[in-house]
Amino acid sequence: MRILLLSLLLWSSSAFAQDDHGYSARARHLLEVAAGETETSFFSLAAKIHLGRDLPRAYSILDSMERDRSMGGRFYAYTLIGTYLHTRDMLPDSLKRKVREAFRVRMMYRGDTENHWVMYYTGLYLAAQTWPNEDGTRWFNGKTSEENFREAEGWLNHWMTITSTIGQGEFDSPTYMTVFVSPMFVLYEFAQNPLMKTRAQAMLDLLLADFAAEQLDGAYCGGHSRDYPDDIINPLAAPATRVAWLFFGQPKEEKWDEARYRPRNRGSWETVFAALGSYRLPEIIYRMATDRTVPYVHTETKRVRNIIRFGDVRNPPVYKYTYMTADYALGSLQGGILQPIQQHTWDVTFKSEKPNNTLFMLHPFFSGRELAMFFPEEIKFLAGEVDRYHLVYTNPNKWNSSSPFEQTLQHKNALIVLYNILPGEKHPHVDGFFPKSLDERIVDGSGWIFCRAGDTYIAFHPLKPFEWIEEDVNWRLRSHDLKNGAVVEVGSAASHGTFEDFKAAIRSTKLRFDDFDRSLTVEYVTSGGDHLRFTYGGKRLVNNRPVDFRAYRLFNGPFMQADVGSGVITLRYKEKTRTLDFPKGTILGN
Amino acid sequence: MSSILVWLSFLLTVSEFGGDSRPPIHASNPKRTFAAVYLVRGSVSGSHTGNFGVFTRNGNDTTWTFVNPSSIIAFGLGYFERVSTRRHYIAAGNGVHRSTDGGTTWRILTSWHTMEILGVVPDPYDSALIYAATPWGMYRTTDDGATWELKDKGTKRWFVQQLHMDLRDRSTLYAVMEDDLYRTTDGGESWTPVNVGGTYPQVVAQHPVDPSFLCVGFGDGSIRCSMDDGRSWKRAGEVRGEAIYALRFSPDGTSLLAAGWRTGVWRSLDRGTSWAQIWDNPAVEGVFDVAVDPDNSRHLIIATDGQGVYESLDEGRTWSRAGLMGAKVKRIEFYP
Repeated sequence: MRILLLSLLLWSSSAFAQDDHGYSARARHLLEVAAGETETSFFSLAAKIHLGRDLPRAYSILDSMERDRSMGGRFYAYTLIGTYLHTRDMLPDSLKRKVREAFRVRMMYRGDTENHWVMYYTGLYLAAQTWPNEDGTRWFNGKTSEENFREAEGWLNHWMTITSTIGQGEFDSPTYMTVFVSPMFVLYEFAQNPLMKTRAQAMLDLLLADFAAEQLDGAYCGGHSRDYPDDIINPLAAPATRVAWLFFGQPKEEKWDEARYRPRNRGSWETVFAALGSYRLPEIIYRMATDRTVPYVHTETKRVRNIIRFGDVRNPPVYKYTYMTADYALGSLQGGILQPIQQHTWDVTFKSEKPNNTLFMLHPFFSGRELAMFFPEEIKFLAGEVDRYHLVYTNPNKWNSSSPFEQTLQHKNALIVLYNILPGEKHPHVDGFFPKSLDERIVDGSGWIFCRAGDTYIAFHPLKPFEWIEEDVNWRLRSHDLKNGAVVEVGSAASHGTFEDFKAAIRSTKLRFDDFDRSLTVEYVTSGGDHLRFTYGGKRLVNNRPVDFRAYRLFNGPFMQADVGSGVITLRYKEKTRTLDFPKGTILGN
Repeated sequence: MSSILVWLSFLLTVSEFGGDSRPPIHASNPKRTFAAVYLVRGSVSGSHTGNFGVFTRNGNDTTWTFVNPSSIIAFGLGYFERVSTRRHYIAAGNGVHRSTDGGTTWRILTSWHTMEILGVVPDPYDSALIYAATPWGMYRTTDDGATWELKDKGTKRWFVQQLHMDLRDRSTLYAVMEDDLYRTTDGGESWTPVNVGGTYPQVVAQHPVDPSFLCVGFGDGSIRCSMDDGRSWKRAGEVRGEAIYALRFSPDGTSLLAAGWRTGVWRSLDRGTSWAQIWDNPAVEGVFDVAVDPDNSRHLIIATDGQGVYESLDEGRTWSRAGLMGAKVKRIEFYP
């Protein structure tokens, strides 16, 4: 009896923790909203069937989707099996047979990116598990259930291993993170192998902790591998915000309309698989996401997407630095081509009720050679293809770009970004994004541009002459010098007092770049007294000590620690720890 | 139309293999044209998809029939034939596909260890021996796809754009790589750069009658040829254009055809010394392949980027559209 009572107590304590912070209410709300969607997707279908809403129509939609032979591929593979597994007890046998048939007659094309393969192999793993012992004639790829299961298992384990040892390739993407976590929700829920289930749970913990450490009120801050311009200039419109809202309760209000206006609003509903499932965010990750009482530096090592041409190393390291406060985050990658097409190298993201709560600068670079580093098609052919899919690749006004002519040095709340653009480049300019939603934007006689957004203050010093171009939601700072750059320091009411105090402090800092065209060197002493000296293509010095990227750990900060290559990630909040041990396949701690 | 000859290079390989007997061919099989379609304009692989992958047609029909598997990005084609076995292969974005029943059913032979397959070269004698060109090197299976091994000893880079089997010796293959043309004489166990020169090799072709004559097309639009099995190379005559993606000899070796990015199609009747443009269309930026009917060298088909295929029955004097409009066609082959 005592044991039973103790068990009940533990269970109720656990259940309380799971429901804490409003998660269950938000999950229910998400399902309600998704179930009411008229857009046809497996997510809205799963929500409708789960809630028993308008079942005849839901079945009819599922039936029509099953009849649509033009659908297939990795998105289809994991969403179809996820929907099926979540709803199969309620599906008529005829629909069950059609779902099964889909895995025979549809080409579940694997795609060519990391997120594609996660979706594809998750779908294949669960499908092969669901329909075991069937021969190759029963599968779209001619392989047996056993062959498909082993292949999917092999790649999923490989992906988990490299992600936990050398980092993700498509890391920290406000758009794409949902198509990593969503398959993992399904895998965690339905993998019958206990080890795979635990590894899926550990991957969810890892991906969500990675986000938690760098999120501010729902925005995924700093540099990231890839994203679309709409999400880069308006961080709270990105699908990652739906994840933050569901798990962290930030932002407090979900702006469904912002999700709906997007042509790719698919990314907004993938959290439905979380809401349908049993994964619960560990308390420690919730605290990591929401405690911003003490500013902190968080660094990470990630990896460059697979380089297939024009490189000496297949996955060179990416070094990421983020300084997080209660009001803003300043974050950066080291610069250079780390991802094709959609890279976002650095930004200031600030807490705001208004849209477009970010500020950054870039060089809009494009080349067939860059694409050929990552894609196997012919070089001349590639730029047009990518322009077709990603719409803006060759556009001189684009807001996402990797550039081989951009490098950064960041120390806490200060950043120097330098450009050394090759003569003859097709877009010989750099652009700064200054949102109109800033409360103040002042071009100061000192050469600094002072911005205020609520309690966040931003000082931005262009190194070269510039012009302002007014656009819909922003002012574009454009500068045409090939040797170029900017110095940025960010403060807040908490650190600097009033905006006037901040401006005065910045005006009194020391900034030297008078010989920049020859030396490509900038020296800056921050308002806090830190001495930064940065030479493009040369040394990065902070207080006369060189920055050693090779010393970067996989994660290093108050909330996360891991060494490159170990596969063991420690999450920490005050006295609590949680250890994700991928080699052992265990999760230890709270 | 005479009956089938398999893939031209295989036929010649077989005929010149010392000591080997020529594989019997199904003389009664009607010839079909196969087109590897990369994508159809407006379609995105893996979401709502169009029908792209492999299409086939009989004789000179202009109607193409879709061949399963559906909705794959097809880069290349391969074929194997022996007395009782015919196998079609597709080099695709998701692996090597193989059909043993003329394209009705398919099996993917590769696994997660390989990425896109850019070319597939089955050995003409041993159905279990298959080579695959991939962005991460040349892979070889000796057990019909059950296992694959990366064979990159001696190479300095990973990316293999194209594999070509020597017409005289099936253990000699050429790999068109990022930095050079490489050659193996031991079935891929080790590779040696041939020092072709030029910038970024794209494609290699071998003269069918004089196999010591090789030509390589480059990403800068140039062509270089060797008359001595690759020991020395010199630049061929000028072809106006930005990149060469296709080089093909006619079956009798009298003409060499070249095409690529903003080139149109060119022909040389003197082994690359001089060229004449035989097709051009400003609306078509890219030509990925130009195929010569092995039974009728007057019959040419070109594969374009987004405009389907064009065809000539008079050695390129007149041309007509031949279907697959809107398709980006990567490769054309004539198989049974």
